[in-house]
Amino acid sequence: MKVIFYSIIALAAAFFAFYIPVRRAQRRLPPIELPPGESMPVTPLQRLARRSLGLVLALTLAAAAVVVLSGVQVWWESDAVRLSATGLLLAALLVFTFYTSRIWSWTARDDGSLDERDRAILAGAPAGQAPAMLVTLAAWMIGLIETHQGTHMVHSAFLYLIFWSCLMVSVLAQLAGVVTGYRRS
Amino acid sequence: MAKGTIRNEIRRMRFEHCEMTQQELADRAGCTRQTIIVLEQQRYVPSLLLAFKIAKVFGTTVDAMFKMEEA
Repeated sequence: MKVIFYSIIALAAAFFAFYIPVRRAQRRLPPIELPPGESMPVTPLQRLARRSLGLVLALTLAAAAVVVLSGVQVWWESDAVRLSATGLLLAALLVFTFYTSRIWSWTARDDGSLDERDRAILAGAPAGQAPAMLVTLAAWMIGLIETHQGTHMVHSAFLYLIFWSCLMVSVLAQLAGVVTGYRRS
Repeated sequence: MAKGTIRNEIRRMRFEHCEMTQQELADRAGCTRQTIIVLEQQRYVPSLLLAFKIAKVFGTTVDAMFKMEEA
């Protein structure tokens, strides 16, 4: 177990060793100059991604709060509690579906609402999804092994939680990729 | 091959065309105003299609609008 734990720490350290020089290089870009009193205009995609990220994050945190506050056992056995948490997560997915459908609609209309720079940012947005999901799975693995090491038994409810957490982290990472994409470019 | 950057004359051309606003140029070229701003600040290199559209708005050629500067 300790070997796995230290391997993950080493991988995280290696990631930051590469990430920090890249971020430093990006900071060397000259700042965007705008006339006094004027702020950078927000593109329709940027606005939509920010709002969707806020909503999805709020709904996901609310669902997580329901599970944490009620406890995994109660949450799993009580239909009302389980359905309320699932309802919040489905609402978050509905927000993401709306976000995706708006992008499709802008792409189909081709009226300048979504231009080539937006498309480039969209294309780069999923870059953080796989690492975010891997970190989530690693966190679950370490957490479950550490807490259930003695009994060698893990409640089946955790399979449900692992699935939803990976799905929501994937959605959040993609939306965050769009929001941060505008800062990087 | 030598490294180079693409520089453009969008800001100058806008002012030479009756101080055309960034929004007007964005609407006519089919992109967002934010893209025009980053283009003018030389932080973004447009696709060939957008370069042609911008040149067409000013009634000029891509060659006259965009220059490659070797590092």
